[in-house]
Order: sequence, then C-alpha cells, then structure tokens
Amino acid sequence: MSAVVTPVAQLTGDGTGTRSPAPRRRSRLGALRHVVLVPLALASLFPILLIVSTALRPARSVTVDPFGFFDAVSVENIATAWTTGRFGEYVGNSFALTVPATLLVLLVSVLAGYAFARLPFPGRGALFGMIVIGLLVPFFTYMIPLYFQLKGMGLLDTYLGAVLLLATGVLPFGVFFMRAFFTDLPSELEQSARVDGCSEWQIFWRVMLPLVLPGVGTLAVFAALQTWNNFLIPLLFLPGGSFRPLTTGLYLFVGGRTIDVGPLAAGTLITILPIVVLFIVLQRQVVSGFLSGAVKG
Amino acid sequence: MTTTASAWARGPRITRRAQARLGVLMVAPAAVLVVLFFVFPMLNAVYFSVVAFDGLTPNPPFVGLDNFARLFADPAVANGLGHNLLWVLIGTVSPIVLGFVLALLSWSVGRVGVLYRIAFFLPHLIPGVAIAIVWGWIYDPLSGWLNQLLRTVGLESLATGWLGDPRVALFAVLATAIWAHYGFVYVIFLAALRNVDVELLDAARIDGANAGQRAWFIVLPQILPVFLMVTTITLVGGFSVFDIVFVMTGGGPAGATDVLGTLAYTNAFELANVGYGTAIALSITVLSIPFVIVLNRVQRRMLEGQS
Repeated sequence: MSAVVTPVAQLTGDGTGTRSPAPRRRSRLGALRHVVLVPLALASLFPILLIVSTALRPARSVTVDPFGFFDAVSVENIATAWTTGRFGEYVGNSFALTVPATLLVLLVSVLAGYAFARLPFPGRGALFGMIVIGLLVPFFTYMIPLYFQLKGMGLLDTYLGAVLLLATGVLPFGVFFMRAFFTDLPSELEQSARVDGCSEWQIFWRVMLPLVLPGVGTLAVFAALQTWNNFLIPLLFLPGGSFRPLTTGLYLFVGGRTIDVGPLAAGTLITILPIVVLFIVLQRQVVSGFLSGAVKG
Repeated sequence: MTTTASAWARGPRITRRAQARLGVLMVAPAAVLVVLFFVFPMLNAVYFSVVAFDGLTPNPPFVGLDNFARLFADPAVANGLGHNLLWVLIGTVSPIVLGFVLALLSWSVGRVGVLYRIAFFLPHLIPGVAIAIVWGWIYDPLSGWLNQLLRTVGLESLATGWLGDPRVALFAVLATAIWAHYGFVYVIFLAALRNVDVELLDAARIDGANAGQRAWFIVLPQILPVFLMVTTITLVGGFSVFDIVFVMTGGGPAGATDVLGTLAYTNAFELANVGYGTAIALSITVLSIPFVIVLNRVQRRMLEGQS
C-alpha cells in the first residue's frame, strides 16, 4: 500500500507544471509542438463542445440536421429539460447529496487524519490500513452485499443512507490525504504549544488545523467532484426515485423513451456545467487533489 | 490555557495517555463508517460467494466453492475475462504513450500550458453517463459524427454502427475510455517532469542527442517510479472496469462488450444469482492483486536505488 503511495510525494506542489524548469527550446521546434498539440487539444474538447452546441441549438434543428455545430442559439432545450425533464429537481437533489456528504468527509477525515499522523494509540497502524485499503478495492466488489445490508438496516432508498455511503466512498482518500498534511507539520510547533499549556485538543484545534486549511480546501473540491459524479450509489441505493441526482436522472432519461436529443443534451450540459466551471476556476486544487488521489485511479 | 509550570508538572506519561485517548476518539467516526459500509459488506461478499443466494430466500444453502468452480466452466466468464485482458493491454499502453508524449511536448510551453491542461484533463472530470451520451451521438450509425467524418474523407466503407456492431463495439467503448482518462496520466507525468534534472538534458543536447533519445535515455529513467505507479493504476483499472461499459452498452450486443464487472452485475441484479455474481466480483479483485504486488516491489526497489 504505502509503496503505491510513495511516488505521489515526489509529485511535489500542485503539479500544475506551468513553471516547469525545463529548458527553453529553439522556437522552430516550439512552434512545431503546437502544430501537434492544438489539434489534439481540440479533439479532446470536441465531445464536450458537442454537448454545449447541441444543448443550445433549437430543438427542431437538432432533429433536422444532427451535424450543425454552434449554428443557432436557443434556450428551448434547456427549458424543456429543466421542467419536463425534471432536471431542475435533479440539480437540487445533486446539491442536497453533495454538500452534506462533502462536509461529512471533511469533518471525519480531518479528525482521523490528525490522529493517525500525530496521536499514537494502540492499533493505530492496523486501523489506518483497514481504512486506506478501500483505495484499492473497486466499489462493485462489495456493492452487491451492501445492497442487501442496507435493505436489512432500513437505509435502502433513504437520504441518510445515500449521504453516508457517498461520504464513506471518499473517506479512504480523505483520511490518507489529511494524514499526509498533518504528518508534514514540524513537531516543534506541537511541543511549544504543549509547553504553553495547550491541551491535546487545543493543539489540534488552535495550532495544527489552521495550518492545513489549504489541504482541507483541496479535499473539499475533490470530495465534491467525486460525490457529484457518483453514479452507482444513487442508482442502486436510491431506487425509488426520490432524491434522484443528475447522474442517474440522465441515465434513466436515456433509457426511458424515444430519445429527444435536444433536451437530453441540455440535461447533460446541466450535469457537467458545475464541474467545468469549478475546474476552470479552481484548476490547481482540482489537479492536485487528483494527483494525490492517484492511488485511487 | 494553564501556566507553563503545570504543563511541565504533568510529565510525558500523562501526555501520552491523553494523546491516546483523544486519538481513539478522533478516529472513531471514520472507523465506524468504514467498518459499517466497507469492511462489513466485504466480509458479506465472502459469505455470499460460498452460498447459493437468489436475493430473496433467507438462509441460503452453503455450496462451498461451487460458485468459483462454476466460473471456470462458464463461457461467458471466459469471454468477459478475454475482454478484460484486452482492456488491460490496450487501456494501459495507449494512455501511457499518449500522456507521456503530450507531457513531453507541452512541458515547457509557458503560460499556454494551462490551456492544454484544461483541454486534456477536462474529460477525466466528466461523469461516465455524460460521456456515454455524447459518444453515443458520435458513434451513431446514421446521424453520428464519426461516420459523417468517414464519408467526408471518402472512407464510407468503414462506416458502421460502432456500438451495435459486435466486431468493433468493444474497441469503440475502449477508445472512449482512453479519451476520458489519458488526461489523468498526462497531468501525473507533467508533475513528474518537474523533478527531472535539467542539466543532464542540456548536457545530452550538447552531446548531440536528439529529442527522442533525450526522452528515452534521460527523461524516462528519471521518472520511472512514477511510470510504474501509473501502470499499476491503469492495470488495476483494466480489471475493474465497469461504469463506462455499463452505461455505454451494458455488455451488449450479445456479450460483445461484456467484462467481468458487467457479468457480476447482470448475475446479481438481473439473473438473481447473487452468490455467483459476488464470486465473479471478488475474483476480479483477487486477479489484480498479484499485479499490484509485483509492480510495488519493483517500484520500491527503484525508489531505494534513487535515494
């Protein structure tokens, strides 16, 4: 386990790479690189632009000519998806699931991460192993028994059950991530606070926690993204349809009837828009979260 | 806060005890959640795999290793495993080659590097359902962009219903998965490149090494541990692939895109063979473990060699 994790530490900083120390190359070669990179970047973005374009075209022209690309703009599809397609409701549900699950991940991970890093107690190593092994086990290995377990516990198809599961899904990463941050803090800080008469809790709360807030921010972004995108947990464990978030809403919209491409595109756009905006605004946090989460794959 | 004197008076043993008590309290919420929603279902998975459970009947009969024995005789499992192996091979090599080459190319482009990172990494953040929908349009036999492109360049004969044609469906799904995830490999390599010794590169250039030689002989050895980490992730990902196949084709047409993950799901939730489905799911995890161990060993040795 720890060996998988080690190289992540090598990926220092946020991995943004813009201030790379790499040598400036000759300009001829430099221009040539862009000739390769630009088409590939456009190809990479094309499917996402296709979602935006299709969602914003008038419903009729989507049916008549599937190959129009940003040729006309209308909010018709978005309006249909929002009301008839119930995507307005799904957006609310996605937020209602994402926000508490993310807060729960932050709270539980910060507490456990600190204890695993700085408070020795018997059985600490084994317990840490038990939590982070979850990083290596794919969800579907245990999703089948989990379904029957939730049914027995009365948590199947409940809001509480879904939030707890979504939070637990990100927890192995959260604990692993916060522990790394707390481990990196110098122990002199802790000792001098103790000499000053701080209790163990005060050392954590007043001295150490403020120093890892950037890490907490990164974890918040990562946990929110993972929760927002989660598909299997709401699909399997919220089968009744109340609290249905965007991902499963989208899936059932496809399966439902003859597909109306326009509103479907609009629903897809509504689903990905918060992610795209979040990524563009908070690129560093997003990328560094994923880099430290590399173990998760 | 109390005075300095009282802190000294307390002594280290009391401190240790206070630390242990607080530590247990702080870990408790995480431990409870993980035991309840991960450890317990994992143990249950082991139990499910040795009984013949149909999802309804309480106290299902114990069948020992029958579910696992059945795996070996099941042609659907052999078919799915073959697809997993193909997925492991192509799904590991292509993102690594693409990610590495792109990272090298955009290594020192300066400010516009941000734009490349957005373009290459954004697909990795899009939920699988959205990916499946938009690639469904691209692969559509009649109104799909891919066939339209082929018609435009005069390769009409290659046009097909990409997800409906059993000969190509698996590759179509795999191509989508590669599109979705090579950007992740790309940002990892980009971050690793920041630790490469630039002076060595300059020296190599002065000695007349061309770009390819510099990449192969100078850059690659320095980031090899990261290379192995990425390989581990993509290999394990190849065995445990599920979401993207599930939402794009559900394993069809006629099993042409079935992988072990979709077989586990179908058996458990559609065919009421919960025990058998769980046995398949467990086998996937077990299959990928040797790869993780071997690659970790090699990686650890390399890291030790470096430091």
